[in-house]
Amino acid sequence: MILFDLFLILLIAYSVGFLYYGLYRNITARFQRRFGPPITQSFYDSIKFFSKEDSTSHGWMFYLGPIIMMTGAITTLFFIPFFYDRADFRGLSDYGNLFVVLYLLVVGPLGNALGVGVSGNPFAVMGVTRGLSRLFAMELPFYIAVIALISINQSADIATIASNQHETINAIAYPLLFIPALFAFIGMMGQSPFDVVGAPVEVYSGPAAEFSGKFLALLMSQGAIFSFAKLVLMVNLFLGGASGFMELLLKTFLLFLFVIAFGSLYGRFKTPQSIDFLLKVPTVIAIVGLILATWS
Amino acid sequence: MIEGFLKEQQTLEGDLNSDTSHKSSVEYLINWFRRRSIFVLAYGTGCGAIEMPPTFTSRYDAERLGIRGAATPRQADVIIVSGYCSYKTLRRIIRTYEQMSNPKYLLALGSCTVNGGMYWDSYNTIKKLEDYLPVDMYVNGCMPRPESILEGFIALQKEIADGKASSWEKYEENYEFYRKNQEAVLGKKVSPEYETNWYLYDGGV
Amino acid sequence: MRIINTLLAFLSLALLLSFWQDNFSFYVDLALLGLHGVVVGVKTSALSNVFALLIGFSWLMVSIASFASKKNTHSTLFLWLPILSLALFLIVYTVDYLLFFVGWEVMSIVSYFILAPTLTPKALLKYILFAMASALALLMGIVILYSGAETLLYIDANHGFTLLSQQMKMILVLLMLFAFFVKIGAIGFHYWLVDSYAQADDLFTTYLSAVLSKMGIYGLIIFLTQVVDIYSLDWKILAYTIAIIGVTTSVIATFKAIKEDELKRLLAYSSIAQLGYIVTILAIAGGMGGVLYHALIHTLVKLLLFINIASIIALTNRSKLSQLGGLIYRTPHSFVLLLIGIIVLAGMPPLAGFASKYLVYTSLLDAKMLLILSAVMFASVSGFLYVYKLIYGIYLGHPTHKSLESVDEVSKWYLIPQYIIALLLVIIGAFPALIVPTLNTVLVQLHVAPIPFETSTILESPLGAYNGFVVMSAFAVIFVLVLFFVWRVKSKAKNVKNRFDIAYCGEEPTSATPLHYGYGMGQELQRVGFIAIIWKQSSASFYNALTLMLFSLSTRLRKVYTGNLASNFNWLIIFAIFLLCWGLE
Repeated sequence: MILFDLFLILLIAYSVGFLYYGLYRNITARFQRRFGPPITQSFYDSIKFFSKEDSTSHGWMFYLGPIIMMTGAITTLFFIPFFYDRADFRGLSDYGNLFVVLYLLVVGPLGNALGVGVSGNPFAVMGVTRGLSRLFAMELPFYIAVIALISINQSADIATIASNQHETINAIAYPLLFIPALFAFIGMMGQSPFDVVGAPVEVYSGPAAEFSGKFLALLMSQGAIFSFAKLVLMVNLFLGGASGFMELLLKTFLLFLFVIAFGSLYGRFKTPQSIDFLLKVPTVIAIVGLILATWS
Repeated sequence: MIEGFLKEQQTLEGDLNSDTSHKSSVEYLINWFRRRSIFVLAYGTGCGAIEMPPTFTSRYDAERLGIRGAATPRQADVIIVSGYCSYKTLRRIIRTYEQMSNPKYLLALGSCTVNGGMYWDSYNTIKKLEDYLPVDMYVNGCMPRPESILEGFIALQKEIADGKASSWEKYEENYEFYRKNQEAVLGKKVSPEYETNWYLYDGGV
Repeated sequence: MRIINTLLAFLSLALLLSFWQDNFSFYVDLALLGLHGVVVGVKTSALSNVFALLIGFSWLMVSIASFASKKNTHSTLFLWLPILSLALFLIVYTVDYLLFFVGWEVMSIVSYFILAPTLTPKALLKYILFAMASALALLMGIVILYSGAETLLYIDANHGFTLLSQQMKMILVLLMLFAFFVKIGAIGFHYWLVDSYAQADDLFTTYLSAVLSKMGIYGLIIFLTQVVDIYSLDWKILAYTIAIIGVTTSVIATFKAIKEDELKRLLAYSSIAQLGYIVTILAIAGGMGGVLYHALIHTLVKLLLFINIASIIALTNRSKLSQLGGLIYRTPHSFVLLLIGIIVLAGMPPLAGFASKYLVYTSLLDAKMLLILSAVMFASVSGFLYVYKLIYGIYLGHPTHKSLESVDEVSKWYLIPQYIIALLLVIIGAFPALIVPTLNTVLVQLHVAPIPFETSTILESPLGAYNGFVVMSAFAVIFVLVLFFVWRVKSKAKNVKNRFDIAYCGEEPTSATPLHYGYGMGQELQRVGFIAIIWKQSSASFYNALTLMLFSLSTRLRKVYTGNLASNFNWLIIFAIFLLCWGLE
């Protein structure tokens, strides 16, 4: 039964993730006054890369890098419950909690970083270094917000945090926690102004520089799954969670829309700039929010 | 080898005599996906590169046809040789082309790639690109406007869908021929030995 | 020498495990020597058993690894190592501060003898100065403690402590904290540590980081829980101060580690940072479980990492990240082992590092120290950068020298202990609560709340539990499925024949092209304000200023105490007159 549940979760995340990515490209196109590709375009891209005749590999660690990344994405997804009040679509979330999820979020990228490192492409490693440098600045405001939420709810269980918001959602009850978390979330989704990692022109598309064929397809697919997992996590933490599919899709899509709209409007920060910004503005807001929220 | 105007003619008439009956449905499906998704290497090799930005940005919006840029050859399906091609650039183009994953396609822009164009008597540009690399599609003009480039892409997509765009297979089959021509202008060391070794071996997991 | 050393290590570990449950005690009354009321002795307890296990295990692992290299390791090391370990066993098994001090002093001096052949004179001087200052502070503390209840036993120490005046209590606490912080290398007191770690014999560095630094933790546990009741309300400010010192240590040491180019210096800073977490949660009531857990995991992981580094240094004769690189396919076993090590060090699920980090976080959360928790998590996430730099610099990227392209796998003597430790770390990762019952006996002994325990797969905490076995098996199963899928798809992966075959903007890199990015990694953080401040500041400047002050003070003193006999005699007369007047009064 649980296997079937997990399979459904994966299927939904995969298809919705690709749908969102298609929408992302389409909406970005509209921001730039063009039609943009059909919303199934990202799916086509990934199938095309899976069906390439050959893909370049740099040895077994390179081969395993994207696989660890995919594993990390799927594991993260399984530890986040879709709904707070239903027995199904809980995945493995009963066996873990928010701390597990916070760490699982970085397992995949770090595993992939090993594959990137072994390719020997200096541009790719530059991308990884940018990502890791940005990571700690990005995670600090997010962690502060999450810590505050755990402390307020006295539980690290995601479903509990989501269901405790039936009166007011956390985004409204604790705006000073939500805003910094949102800044960090924009970075997590790889959107401008914090998209230094995969800058195509500066660092030759960053960590993905050396990946071709099925490896690139795997990275694309995990991107779709991972993005959806992060969206569900954010919805659970701040937007009151969901009790049905319509609510879940609506909330995740609104959040996604905000993130891509934000990304379309702003230019890219340099790495030190983004670290500086994230450590100053969102972190200070988050600390104030933490103190206000937990003052007793 | 049919080229230039004749090529275009044949492309426009392509639908009439395309024969897809011998292909399996899986192959048909794969070709359809390949047709729908084309990653173009963002590498401007000649003066025609100036026509590519308008093609890919808001004015002509190639992305609506599933055509988008890729930064590295590892991710790209199509390389555009945009106009005249000096020996120095040719070396990079060959190396980049050999780094791309199969199947890969080459789109040649402008008359310079057909017969040298206005550089026909230049001492350091090649005249016929197809002597050095297999060309899938020519788009003529000097320079071709973005509309023509898009039309070239559409024609290429049609060939991909029919499974006819197979220049990469031709390159591997006639490797000695191309390599001889390349060595004639670039000297013995066209691209590093290690790359050629890799490029021609079979297998993989 | 090596064989005897290994046998002794094995014997001590075997003895320890076979008498794990039994209680031994042995007391001597020193009244015979004229010291009335002074009782010294040794006694087994749950706490000392756990720390003794760490000592015995580390000793054995280092001894096994020592068979690998004949020339690199100083033969005197294995003469001294049993004596050092004996001193450490004395430290953990004693029940009074007198024997504790004896053990501490022997430890410091034996370490000096071991360090002396390899350290530069300056580093050695730093080490011995700090070690002696630590021992002296400990001695003064013990004397003050003795003045209270006239006993040195731990069990009476709390009573003696309460008899002291408030000022004396404060002085005692500061002295003792100084003594232990020097050993741990808390920030500001770490001045000796990094140089000693970096220049010591590679295997002895392992022992230093894994065991000797834990003695500071052990001392702190005994002092803060048995003598000072740190969890009582009276000492809340002290507890907060210790927590803040701990977390500052972690953050600063983490960023210092990011900048380091030398392998052992990087790991030395990492060691400081990890001990910083332990010090942080030592100060809170629910944190003792996390302290023990993290101390255990840190010992294991630092053994693994330092043995790995030692093997690489022995293999290549290079100790800088900028001089290594590209070893993965030459030494695949070492790579996988270091990978396990850094996953644990970074605290990633599904391995054991996450369990200890989890306890650290939840205990801080439970104690409502939310800002400190944020800083701890920040330091922990920043650690990913140096962790990646370490593995990239050694194993990934490109070799920076021709000699690196022709090396073979490291000696099996290095690999055996690493595999044992890695196996332990994986097992603890899958069964995170496996060691909880053992730790709980210690917690009961220390009169703090034990960690909730049901089954060995679920690590529980007041704010929720997680099932390590499910996390690990989910990860493993998904990994295998994805691997199978990737293996079966149409696209086939072809291995490149040469490491220079990379997408490099159409250019052809050669061996002259600088392709290894190991050294530059993280340098761009220089442009971020507070990181630049951390990197620029050094405790050296403080100690240099202190030295200058001492110099000027001695210059002044020299004007009075000129050294010739006549003026000495004059001072003597003045002193005699002073005494006379005082006596008359």
